[in-house]
This record gives sequence, C-alpha cells and structure tokens, in this order.
Amino acid sequence: MIKILRYLGSAVLSRISALSDIWEIIAFSLYSLVFRFKKGRKATKSVLLKQIYFAGFEAVPIVSWIALALGIIIVTQSFSILPKVGGEGLIGDILVWVVIREIGPIFSAIIVVARSGTAIASELGSMKISKELTALEIIGIDPMHYLIAPRVIGTCISVFVLTFYFEIIAVLGGYLLAGFGKRMTFSVYIADVLASLGFAEIGSSVLKSVLFGLIIGAVCCLNGMKVQRSITEIPQRTTKAVIGSFKAVFLIDAVVTLIFFMF
Amino acid sequence: MPAIIELEEVTVYNEDGRAVFEDVNLNFSGGQCVLIAAPPASGKGALLKLLSGHALPDKGVVHLFGKDTRRLTKTGLNDARKRMGFILQDPILISNLKVIENVALPLLYHSELTADECYNEALKMLDLAGFAGDLWVLPGLLPVYARKSVAAAKALVMGPEVIVCENPAHGLNEDELAHLSGIIAGYHLSHPASLLIVTARDETEIGAIKPGRTIHIQDGRFRE
Repeated sequence: MIKILRYLGSAVLSRISALSDIWEIIAFSLYSLVFRFKKGRKATKSVLLKQIYFAGFEAVPIVSWIALALGIIIVTQSFSILPKVGGEGLIGDILVWVVIREIGPIFSAIIVVARSGTAIASELGSMKISKELTALEIIGIDPMHYLIAPRVIGTCISVFVLTFYFEIIAVLGGYLLAGFGKRMTFSVYIADVLASLGFAEIGSSVLKSVLFGLIIGAVCCLNGMKVQRSITEIPQRTTKAVIGSFKAVFLIDAVVTLIFFMF
Repeated sequence: MPAIIELEEVTVYNEDGRAVFEDVNLNFSGGQCVLIAAPPASGKGALLKLLSGHALPDKGVVHLFGKDTRRLTKTGLNDARKRMGFILQDPILISNLKVIENVALPLLYHSELTADECYNEALKMLDLAGFAGDLWVLPGLLPVYARKSVAAAKALVMGPEVIVCENPAHGLNEDELAHLSGIIAGYHLSHPASLLIVTARDETEIGAIKPGRTIHIQDGRFRE
C-alpha cells in the first residue's frame, strides 16, 4: 500500500514539476516579448523570424492540402445530410461549429507539432549535447532569452496564423472544389457562414490557437532542454515532446470548449 | 591597476569529494599576461569554470570585476561575461549559424550597432584571425584550426577586458599555433589594459604569447 502511495505521490509530483516548468517557459517568453523586447533584439528577431518561417510559412502547402480535403468532406457531408432532415438552414452553423471552433485550431496544432515540434526538441537537444548552450552563456547570452522565448512566440504566431488560413481554405476551398455551386450560390453560402460567425466562434478559435501555440512551443523546448548527456536521449525526448504536446492540446481544447459552452 | 579577478581562500572539491585545490588566493589585474601552467587534470578546467561563473567555489569567494560571483544574478553574470572573451580548447560554435553569424552574434545581441555594422566588424575580426574559408557555411565540418580562428574572432569581437585562452596548442601544428597565439598576443598588446590568462602544460605550448607572470599548479597548490 505504501509502495502504491509512494508511486502515486511521485507521479503527481513529477506532473506538477513538469507543469511548473512549462508555465515558467511560457511566462518567461511572454515577459521577454513585452518587457525585454529591446534586449538583444537584432539577434532574437532573427531566431523569431526563422521559427515563423519554418513552423508557419513552410507548413502552408501541407495545411492547404489537409484543409482542402477536410473542407470537401465536411461541405459534402453537410450538403448531403442536412437537406434530408430539413436542416438546409444549418449549413453555415455546422461549418462554423466544426471548422472554425474545432477542426481549424486542432489540425493546425497537430501539423505544427508533427513538423516543427519535433524539430524544436531535437535541435535543442542536439545543441545541449554539443554544449552550445554553454557557448552562449560564455558570451553573456541567456539561452532562455535567445533560444527559447523566440521559439515559443514564433510557434504561437505560426499556429495562430495557420489556424485562420486553414479555416478560410476549408470553408471556401471545400465549397468550390466540392462543386455545390448549383445547389447554393456562393454569395448565399458565404452569407450563411458569416451569419453564423459570432464573437464566441472567433474568440474560441483565437484563444485555442494562441494557447495551443504557446503550449506546443513550451513543451517541445522543455523536452529539448531536458536532454542531458547522451545523443540517444534526443529521439526519446522528441517522442515525449510530441506526445506531451498532443495531450496538452486536446486537454486545453476540451477545457476551452467547455468554458465556451457554459458561458 | 586594480584587480579584475580575485580568488580569496578558494577551495573546490571534485565529484568524489577530493579537493581539486584548497585555500587558493590569487588576483589578476588589467595589463597582465598570465600563464597558468599545469599538466592535464590538475585543476585548470575547474579554475576556468570559476572564472566564467559556471561554477561557484565550495569555500571562499571569487570576485569578477569587483563583484562576488555568488551574489551575482543571472543578468549580472551575463554582464560580466560580455566583458570577457573565452577561447576554449575545444571551440564550440553555434551549429545553426553560419561562420560570420557566429562571430557577429555577440555584437548583434549586446551592442547598439546596426546589423550591417555588426557584420562588418565580424568580417574584420575574421580577417584578422586569418580565417580564409567561406563565411556563409555552417561551422560543422570546418577543420580544427578554422574553428579555433572563428572562436578567437568571436571571443575578441566585443573588445573584451579579459581574454581567457585554454590550451591554445591543442589540435594545432606549430605554424597554426604561432599564427593563433600571435593574434591573441597582438590583441593584448593593442589593448594594454586588458588581462590575458592562458592555460597550457608549459611555456612551450603558448606560441607567441609572452607571459609576464607564470603560475604553476601542482598537487592542488598554486605557486608563482
């Protein structure tokens, strides 16, 4: 019994410690963005732009493909099922609920974790092994400020922008490619979608994408920084970064959805 | 000149609890060129860790620029480090930055210069350090001498008040050592207030550097 309690206690403590580390990284990144914006700006701006380029801009083709495919599926299903139950008027609502509230933020986050989360964790792990973090400290540069904060903020901006790009492509591209112009004119379709868009829908999408971006950046950076001595730790930590990011993203999604449902 | 670095009654233990050195009192002033001569694994690395603030003494006090390293905040420590240039035995460069970006990084981060001015300064310093390769390659596959040249340029680009050079002969042939040590000695001569600390096995391994003071470490004891 004592062994079980000890095991549970240790598991709970390690979770609390990990959450505290993640919170510390997010808080430090936001603090750096707001209050240390000018410090080392020329150097950190370059890291931030590279992160946005790799995590955001380079993800545009894959986001486009997935958004188009899902858009076609959702638009087709909506047009085929709703008229049978007399719910033609709900097409706009369904699209907004499914694409903008849920699928947009979630899929953008999944794509960023798969493409960039792994890259962040493995790159930082490799830099840690080769003592590059010490090399930065030795020239008076705080690795948290130079390496971590721009990556977390860059990931957040990328997920935020990709989410809205995904939603536009899914809603518009899905309609156009699915060839439903004969059943419903484009202007009516857009008017229907826009009529269903309210503060809650946009707010939910914005909040989720920002939180997902911050948590993905922090979890992946934390796992990269946890590599200690051996190169074999890098793939282990990369896997943990991906799994940890997914767990956090789906948990946050559930909590934000519940909050918006209750209020 | 006032002491830039002071060690008072400093004791450092290794992981086994054995004393690396005990009750050491040392001070280094601006303008000095000091050789720390000792065989491998005799405590030079531990001393360099104290000087860079990467380790704290188990007993005693280390003052960097008049400040106790134990009381320095992270920012205070970084402020002290940007006044120092370290040329380590195994030069560590940032793997995802090109050669010129590596050298310009301290200026880009710490100085008020524009990015173009930072790159121009980096270019001048690389030229001075004798780097003849491609400036826009990642440093991963550079030979040892080229890496050491880049590391020396990076260490000197900020115009440091303290230069710490660890085992300059390591991995270099005689000509390469003569050239690299000439650059370091030249910097010290052109900045008369700077402090140059070199660690090596003995005087034969420091090339063109002419120490005015030699400290030997033997069996955990420092003697001049």
